[in-house]
Amino acid sequence: MAFYTLGLTFWIVIALTISVLAIWIYGLYFNFKKWGMGSTGYQDKLRNSFWLFIATWIHEAFKDGIWVFIKTAVLDVLLLRRTLRRSPVRWVMHMTMFYGFVTLAALSGLGLFMDIIEHFNLLGLTHQAEMVKGFMELPFDIFGYMLLVGSTIGVARRILLKQVRDNTSAYDVVLLGGVFLITITGFYAEWLRGNSFLVGDAFANSVYAPHFSLLHTILALALFVAILPWSKYMHIIAAPLTILANRGGE
Amino acid sequence: MAEETKTSPEGKPLLSGFLRSTQLMELDACTRCQECMKWCPAYDVYNDRPEITPMYKIAKFRELLGSQHGLRAKLFGSKPLNEDEIDQFMDDTYMCTTCGVCGTVCESGINTVELWEAIRPNLVVRGTGPWGKQNFFPKLLEANRNPYQGKQEDRLCFVPPDADVLESAKIAYFPGCTAAFRQQTLGVATVRILNALDIPFCMMGEDEWCCASVLVRTGQRDIMKAHAVHNVDALKDRGVETVLYACAGCVRTATIDWPRWYEGYIPYKNVPLSVYLREKIDNGEVEWKYSLDKKLTFHDPCHSGRHLLHYVGKDWAFEAPRDVYKAFPGVEYVEMPRSRELQRCCGAGGGVKAGQADLALGCAEARVRDGEEVGAEIMSSTCPFCRRNIMDGRNSSGSKMPFADQVEIMAVLMGLDVEIPHNPYLEYQEWDEVLGNRICIKPSDLEPVKAQDIEGD
Repeated sequence: MAFYTLGLTFWIVIALTISVLAIWIYGLYFNFKKWGMGSTGYQDKLRNSFWLFIATWIHEAFKDGIWVFIKTAVLDVLLLRRTLRRSPVRWVMHMTMFYGFVTLAALSGLGLFMDIIEHFNLLGLTHQAEMVKGFMELPFDIFGYMLLVGSTIGVARRILLKQVRDNTSAYDVVLLGGVFLITITGFYAEWLRGNSFLVGDAFANSVYAPHFSLLHTILALALFVAILPWSKYMHIIAAPLTILANRGGE
Repeated sequence: MAEETKTSPEGKPLLSGFLRSTQLMELDACTRCQECMKWCPAYDVYNDRPEITPMYKIAKFRELLGSQHGLRAKLFGSKPLNEDEIDQFMDDTYMCTTCGVCGTVCESGINTVELWEAIRPNLVVRGTGPWGKQNFFPKLLEANRNPYQGKQEDRLCFVPPDADVLESAKIAYFPGCTAAFRQQTLGVATVRILNALDIPFCMMGEDEWCCASVLVRTGQRDIMKAHAVHNVDALKDRGVETVLYACAGCVRTATIDWPRWYEGYIPYKNVPLSVYLREKIDNGEVEWKYSLDKKLTFHDPCHSGRHLLHYVGKDWAFEAPRDVYKAFPGVEYVEMPRSRELQRCCGAGGGVKAGQADLALGCAEARVRDGEEVGAEIMSSTCPFCRRNIMDGRNSSGSKMPFADQVEIMAVLMGLDVEIPHNPYLEYQEWDEVLGNRICIKPSDLEPVKAQDIEGD
């Protein structure tokens, strides 16, 4: 079965992926440079330096010692302690979204790598690459469902809770809605390809599978990757860095 | 015809300094979870103005900065700044007491107080800020070294003639401008207590300049260095090792802000007075004469509580004042639901008392309601500015809740004379209408203490 449609070849997909990643990396650099406009300390002049931003972040993050840094990284970045204190529901939402998203991104990268090995028969490992992709079905499902739970809670909060709804902007809608849509299309693409661990090939459809796969890939690359540095998604990078720089915050 | 909008003339950039690179990063860290909106005391008063909440202010400043330094600006040049938009942003930014509860609840760990205090100077430098009468503060401080236009040579005019105050000592009492000129009972009470406990202490007199907290909060930093350096040097010159503060604003500014301006070693330790008094109480050095016999609740000042939490720890920030209250004979201590690091701001801070009186009153009224909800018969605090604003809110809401400072209550319960000696500022005293006169509580209203009223160790 063709993986994608509309005449997209493997090479074209690789080229598009690299282009999008390049935009992403440039976007991260652009943001770091933008933050680097700031000073290095209280009452200091503006510096306009990418490297001084890195140095300032390191200085702030380690100001109270390595142990505080590690404790903050574990409790506040990885376990979202500050969110749990405020709202268990938002904690579940954020944890499932965070770990679902990060793991799916990593698995997608691994999947792409396996595709490359398979396509070029690198080191004669085609069979092994296929096996690895087979083993990835279960984690893709698990973390996909995690992301689905998280994004569903996120969307539901914004719709059902009046105060949250009143202060939800179009910006929030597009970005959260995008996450939800990417998750849904990912599942459906998987089901149509017959790759799902849970539902197997119950919904397999070789005609439409490439279309949904393409849709999912375009949405994921466009929203998660290309737009991330230029949108509210940037908090995925900025929030953990802020928590660490502020040694856990107030 | 389209309405003309004012655009910024050349040479008035939005960002001229004051923001660390990690603070610029904080603008992108906001997840828009809306938690700050739930706790913001200003939004509690003006709940039809979401733009004054931290989430909206961060988004707006990010948008404004983006118009000057974002990708679009890089590709096509900066958009002209709309001065009406900046004016509105200034208004929203200054409708904030810098209480910091938003930073406490922020899931991204944004240090919001530092952020507002870094954004405001940018608005001041470009001439958009500060708000209204707040621009008098630097002039007042530069001319008089205090915001009340009092004479520096009168700094100690509230000290009773029979009080024992040294020229120099290891312990200094820093009363602050409000105790010196507007709430002198607080200063008298402190002096009397320290004398009664045989604590040798000094005061700086006319060498004491305003802590300049108000300059930092309103973004007007020009003469901040002069005040910080002067005060630190004045304390060092007297060989001080411990400085006691009965004003939350002063202890916060001395602990967090002065060191930022002072180049050199600061040899003394800043101690909130309640911490020191608790130690004396625990050591059995305090003799009680009267019993309060009231339900008392404590309003945590933002400055000596939440702001100092990471500098002095929870015990000094929150528990020490409570321990002192619980040691008062006859007191039944009751806690308001919003307390400690989540306490509700009184509304006076951040320049709001001078700039946005209605907002200050609204916050204060809410705090009085908090006290009434738990059945408190008297409210107390360890900040004269909180006291002043909460009393104003109490008066405007028609409540009869008395409010007295912790030190004033303690002095009266110890049977000390807290009468203010005659001085030129008597007519300006901010006395509590409900309590009837300048003495916070009349001893004649109290019961003498019995042995069983005093809790043992």
